Amino acid sequence: MKPFNILILILVATISILLISPYLGLNSSTNPEIQQHILTQLRIPRILFAFIAGAGLAVCGMVFQAMFRNPLATPFTLGVASGASLGAALYVFLGFSFSIMSIDGSTFAAFLGSLIAISFVYSISRLRSGFSTETLLLTGVAISFFFSSLILFTQYLSNVSDSFQILRWLMGSLTTVGYRDVLQLLPFVSVCIAVILWLSRELNLLMAGDDIALSRGLAVQKTRYLLFFVTSLCVGAIVALCGPIGFIGMMVPHICRLLIGNDHHWLTPATLLFGGCFLIICDTIARLIIAPAEIPVGVITTLLGGPFFLWLLIKSRNKSF
Amino acid sequence: MNGILNVQQLNVEVASKKLISDISFGLDQGDYLCILGPNGAGKSTLLKALMGIVKTASGDITLNQQSVSQLSQKQLAQHISYVPQAHGRQLNFNVADFIKMGRFPYHSAFSDWTSTDKQAMDRAIDITNISDFLSRQMQTLSGGESQRVMIAAALCQQTPLLLLDEPTSFLDPHHQVEVHQLIRQLNQQHNISIIEVSHDLNHAAHHSKHILALKNGKTLWYGQSVELLQSSHLQDLYDQQFVFTPHPQTGAMVALPCELSNDVS
Repeated sequence: MKPFNILILILVATISILLISPYLGLNSSTNPEIQQHILTQLRIPRILFAFIAGAGLAVCGMVFQAMFRNPLATPFTLGVASGASLGAALYVFLGFSFSIMSIDGSTFAAFLGSLIAISFVYSISRLRSGFSTETLLLTGVAISFFFSSLILFTQYLSNVSDSFQILRWLMGSLTTVGYRDVLQLLPFVSVCIAVILWLSRELNLLMAGDDIALSRGLAVQKTRYLLFFVTSLCVGAIVALCGPIGFIGMMVPHICRLLIGNDHHWLTPATLLFGGCFLIICDTIARLIIAPAEIPVGVITTLLGGPFFLWLLIKSRNKSF
Repeated sequence: MNGILNVQQLNVEVASKKLISDISFGLDQGDYLCILGPNGAGKSTLLKALMGIVKTASGDITLNQQSVSQLSQKQLAQHISYVPQAHGRQLNFNVADFIKMGRFPYHSAFSDWTSTDKQAMDRAIDITNISDFLSRQMQTLSGGESQRVMIAAALCQQTPLLLLDEPTSFLDPHHQVEVHQLIRQLNQQHNISIIEVSHDLNHAAHHSKHILALKNGKTLWYGQSVELLQSSHLQDLYDQQFVFTPHPQTGAMVALPCELSNDVS
């Protein structure tokens, strides 16, 4: 099947999911007014938020896979999400409270955290020539551990309610979002995705490796820094608002690569749509599985992602793209 | 010198280790230069320095009298194309998509695919004769097919100068001949200047115009290819005795490495 047709199919599926999912789990016996309120004030913003966050995480994962030429490299596995979490946790712990142009300070803290983590991973992986899968992932694991222990430390020092707040948030949850959060997230994710769509050709070249990319005339370093910057911004914004929702950035782009191929002209829009839908589906499951209670959506994605990660690790050992 | 490429006193250091010291050479349009030398002599590094893949520590590289330090990577890629050492089959791309990437130097972010691009691509495909496997994945190609695709992708850049890093080293004899024929055709019929890193002495001696022999990052010998087999250059270059004998079919002199006299016990 042609990439174009696959993309159309994904688009149709996306629209159906966006239309159907708000109505799942609505209790028809309650008062229609309450139902209406739940639908417009809780469900719809939550689903919009899930779509934007899922799309952002999936596309950032796709960019990392292309840049590091490794299907296991994602913001989550390389510790960038932990960096963002630490930034946001410190923001809560230190009792900061500011906003710039109505954007909450935690977003900036998380952005800084992810930028620091990404510079760590990148410079460590550059110390020895070539990114072997093992070095790269171990660097990511080490950085995750490091940031996680700092997060635990801040939690330990916090009071009980702050600590509980941090814990719930670390599990990755979409429970409390409203339209305000949707508007907070949208500019970051759309700018990031716009830049990435604009750089499709560049991403294709990066996937071919530095030597080929340079010999085709790509200013590799500059492109890489730009991509690091926008993905940090995107991951930071998402993590600040809903916690580190794991593994979407690995599973979704990988499945899309299998469906549509590695040309980023097609892959980016497919990943974007599929990522959005994927998080909506996971969130719907999280919402319904033990209804009326909910579980954090991060638990669902990680439960799916763990085995997927192992499968990829075994399958792709010593083999880049 | 009036050539298209001029290299003066080039030095390359990686992690404070000197890989190339004071190499100078030049190239005219339509020249064919072979770079010979033992493993680790700096041959690939030299090509990478020309292509802007490794940074030069000092020295001048000029293309058509213009210093490459003034060119952007994109502009450089309009002058020089490069076929890296064999790894075409590790790439997870469709052959046509991969060749298409060769047009990157001529595009900005929002420019469309034009008829010029299509012509360049069709021509590259035509010259390298790969139209039969355009829709295949790179990973499914044979060694010879993959090398032709890599060359086609470089040709798509339409550069006057083509760098090739050991283009035949991993190929069977039949495909070695085939790829070398293709390179000669590019040089002679299409007037593309070639710099090839090679271990194939006899090919270099008979088919290239000039030879640059490198050892430990330094120029050991630089001259007309026909002179390679007429002196002790080879022995100095590889620390290895050679015998010279006329090719039974063509009568041209060929070099064969001698058996080692003192075996390692």
